[in-house]
Amino acid sequence: MEKKPLIKPRTMSAVKDFVCVVPALIFLVVFTYYPICKLVQISFTDWNLINETWKYVGLKNWIWLFNGSGTKYLLNSLKVTAIYTVGELSITLIGGMALALIFNRFNRAFSIMRAVVFVPKYVAMSSAAVVFLWILDKEHGIVNYLFSLVGLPAVDWIGSRGTAMISVLLLTGWRAVGYGMMIYLSAMISISSDYYEAAALDGASAAQRFFKITLPMLSPTTLFLFVTTFLSSMKVFQSVDILTGGGPYRSTEVFVYKIYSYAMVDFRMDRASVMAIAFFILLLVVTASTFKVSNKNVHYDS
Amino acid sequence: MAKAKTAREARLERDRNARRKKKIVMIVQYVLAVTVTVIILFPLYWMISSSFKSQEEILLPIPTLWPKEFHPENYISVFRRGNFAKYYYNTIVMTVGILVSQIVTGIFGAYGFSKGAFKGQNACFIFVLGALMIPSQVTFIPIYIMCANWGLSDTFLGLILPSLVSPYYIFMLRQTFKAIDDSYVDAAKVDGLGRVGIITKILAPMCRSTLFTVTLVTFTNGWNSYFWPKIIAKNEKRRVLTIGLAMLKNTFAGQGTMNNHEIMAGAVVAILPVVILFFIFQKYMLTGYSKAAMK
Repeated sequence: MEKKPLIKPRTMSAVKDFVCVVPALIFLVVFTYYPICKLVQISFTDWNLINETWKYVGLKNWIWLFNGSGTKYLLNSLKVTAIYTVGELSITLIGGMALALIFNRFNRAFSIMRAVVFVPKYVAMSSAAVVFLWILDKEHGIVNYLFSLVGLPAVDWIGSRGTAMISVLLLTGWRAVGYGMMIYLSAMISISSDYYEAAALDGASAAQRFFKITLPMLSPTTLFLFVTTFLSSMKVFQSVDILTGGGPYRSTEVFVYKIYSYAMVDFRMDRASVMAIAFFILLLVVTASTFKVSNKNVHYDS
Repeated sequence: MAKAKTAREARLERDRNARRKKKIVMIVQYVLAVTVTVIILFPLYWMISSSFKSQEEILLPIPTLWPKEFHPENYISVFRRGNFAKYYYNTIVMTVGILVSQIVTGIFGAYGFSKGAFKGQNACFIFVLGALMIPSQVTFIPIYIMCANWGLSDTFLGLILPSLVSPYYIFMLRQTFKAIDDSYVDAAKVDGLGRVGIITKILAPMCRSTLFTVTLVTFTNGWNSYFWPKIIAKNEKRRVLTIGLAMLKNTFAGQGTMNNHEIMAGAVVAILPVVILFFIFQKYMLTGYSKAAMK
């Protein structure tokens, strides 16, 4: 008589397959989903790292953030983050597209130059940041020296309210523009030359070809870059932390920097949590709306 | 007869014009490309050239493009006074730890989600994708409290723990594994290969290039990570390069002098491994990000 296995082989196989994904699932529960729930809990307490105990305080922190002394910092961070995001989006999308058109030639010289333009992406932000601190130094920086050559006054790039954000954008733009170029170029290559040949027969000018063929055909790429850059630039932290520390006069105090400083400088976990939740919801709204817009306005080639 | 000739001449002239126009476009393209390349390269050039200058030289009113005399001792000073040897060690251990863990959990997870079959597979996968939407810049507060309670401040485990699994890595590999025909896996099963065998002998070799690319990106992200190390490892003991570099100014500030030559040396030292990797594996690293764009 045939011995019947205790567990059916098929079930056994399914169990083994499931075991493959278990470590990932456990991890995500502990380090991603649980923290989000915990965050909501903390936002209703007076948790800070200075006191030993904490208690529930109801909506106090929420009121503080949306209708209290925290509101002006929230609005400031929103404004600063929005300015930064617009700046970085312009650099990545417009700058990236412009570079893609310039570097759209395939020989050895251009491939080396493309690699050079892309390299900053792999230069650690902290290294890049200290280099920019040095280049933009008020007294000994090379930029101000070049300014003096053409008779312009020295600018306190990092230390003055008007230019601190420009400095941050110079730094992050330097790292991002080659990335934008690379993404656009790899998409441009895959546009079928049939379109351009047909357009040439019809006597289309270069500008017409760009606006009527290249740009529409690249719209999925533009969408991808837009969404990913939008989301990543809303999360900007490191460049601001090293370059300006949120200053001067909070002119570069972006969202994540503010959350960080509530938590790790003021030790106010409660306030940081409320701000973090607000930020998370903002990110979700942004993501949802970009996808909604994209469904209408993006052309997909077959 | 004469009419035909002029038509041919006209065509020739049109061709000549077109060729001339092409040539002008090419020259303009070259000029622009070289200009952009020089501008982008300049900060890196300036970093390296400043790192070899003496303190007097970086303070000159008219900056020198190339060091008048070389001072490699700036690099020694970074290791001696700046404690960079320790930062290096900490960064390597952290990066390797993150890398190994993400590769193992990533490959097995990707296998389970692509070639495996179990109830609730889709729900579990959506669970993983959902995690991509939750940024660490939000969750770091409870994670910090947890890790601090577990006594993980200023430890390697504390540095590595929140990065053990990467949903991004799982997602990328799952897409690649899915593209491989099931018949390979079935044939291997018939031959009596287990899951580990299927992964190491069939799937991993077939997806070598994606695996490689994603691993390089993971390495770079680990090496360059800043946010979490800044939070969990505040003391000298487990400080990593990125943090140490940003603090170099304060470390040397005791003298109250400009020490950008040494800071630049530190910056070079900190990025060296990744930049070397970039030039060796250029092909993979250039496609690394664009692959993600292709969906």
